[in-house]
Amino acid sequence: MSDLTLEQLDGDGALQESIADLYGDTRAELLRKAVIGGTTLLAALASPPALASEMSKANDVRIFQYALNFEYLQASFYTETERAGTVARMEEAKAVWARTLGAHERAHVKIIKNVLGDAATKSPFFDFQGNTESESRFTRTAVAMEDLTTALLTGVTPSLRSQGLVAAAFSLLTVEARHAAWARHLAGIVPVAGPFDRSKPVSEVDRIVASTRFARTLVPKMTARMKPKFVG
Amino acid sequence: MRSATFVRPALMVSVAVGLAVGLPSVLREGGSGDAFEQAASHRKAASARPSLPEPVEPAFVPGKPTLLRVSAQATRWAVVRAAATARVAPRARAPAITELETKTPEGTSNIVLVLANRVDDAGRLWIRVRLAVLDEPSTGWVPREALGGYGTVTTRLIVDLDSLQATLFRDGRAALRADVGVGKLSWPTPRGEFYIRNKLTGYASPTYGPVAFGTSARSRVLTDWPADGFVGIHGTDRPDLLPGRVSHGCIRMRNDDILRLANLMPIGTPLTIR
Repeated sequence: MSDLTLEQLDGDGALQESIADLYGDTRAELLRKAVIGGTTLLAALASPPALASEMSKANDVRIFQYALNFEYLQASFYTETERAGTVARMEEAKAVWARTLGAHERAHVKIIKNVLGDAATKSPFFDFQGNTESESRFTRTAVAMEDLTTALLTGVTPSLRSQGLVAAAFSLLTVEARHAAWARHLAGIVPVAGPFDRSKPVSEVDRIVASTRFARTLVPKMTARMKPKFVG
Repeated sequence: MRSATFVRPALMVSVAVGLAVGLPSVLREGGSGDAFEQAASHRKAASARPSLPEPVEPAFVPGKPTLLRVSAQATRWAVVRAAATARVAPRARAPAITELETKTPEGTSNIVLVLANRVDDAGRLWIRVRLAVLDEPSTGWVPREALGGYGTVTTRLIVDLDSLQATLFRDGRAALRADVGVGKLSWPTPRGEFYIRNKLTGYASPTYGPVAFGTSARSRVLTDWPADGFVGIHGTDRPDLLPGRVSHGCIRMRNDDILRLANLMPIGTPLTIR
């Protein structure tokens, strides 16, 4: 695969702008010829409109609850990788990728939780089983996760009844697809698998996620109702 | 609606064909009057094209993404998922320090603090953890597969045995200060680096107050105490004795202080007794 620079990929300057936004102009300029891949930030600082009526349909709520669980999975994955020190050991361009995706996924969690309000589910307790502590395992997992998220959103977005939510879901979908392409390129895989992306049904997504056992983990029991036997 | 759908592509094709035919003719004929009239006619046809719909406004737009602040105050803990041997080095044949169980003596999940990680020559990932042991070394290496998911805290509790004060820090800032009762000289509270393992509630024992925290610290004197002689942090029915050296090694707090601490301090918080 030929090396692409950020400058070549980012024709409209959106990615450079997004990196400058997150890291500052100086660093963005330094990365201009080094970073490979592309993503744009979602439009910033817009507050969600009143969505009670938009979300009134149970179908749409269920879809966004499912999407929220997926965003939890991704946000937790990138966050834990940073906390484990794995990102700090990466070369600069890759570290920017990992940090940027983490920031995006946390922003996705925040907005979907906000939109769902009381209907938002809590984050599961994840166990990434060492995939956040090894750069190569992290990269492979990130590729799979971003590809799967893209396939999931491609499948569920047309089922949303509210046109406003369809538009919002498409905005998430295109960003996740760019994440996937960026991850694939850094992993040395062709960024775009083919001329047409196939969706995956939720049942298949469920099966794939279950096979990782990331979310089917031991939830620790931290409290007990019993008299202490400490030394006193 | 249906007819518009059919008309639009037809118009577009006609405009495209018209432009394709007209433009070369303009160029070829050097801009003759006929050719200009023809081009103007095509421009008129293009301007008559029905407009496409405006983009649908998204129902929500995420806010500005922010980079993670990896706090120096952050500490990770992990639950022990499978019984394992903690070793002095990240190697399968390194000397053993202790056996890690999945449960504490109180029946809660056994957790350890996560300090570092390393991959051995065989490609196996090892995690250096703080252990709930009596003797040094108080840290050891366990295979990653013995541990479950990670939790993170940004709190730290420091108990000063000289000033008889406990201070809880959150994100590096003091969030609570309280007088404490600690072990008498004959049953000293151990000094060192430990962590909070669990929280016990719902019992009826005025001696321990309303809430008790289990720690990884153990008495070096009361080694035959039931349930392995662990040091707790708990309330008391004798607040008049605080601050003071009054206990068998446990850290006592006034009941209102231990209740405040219970609201502020998550399990997994590192504990320094100095």
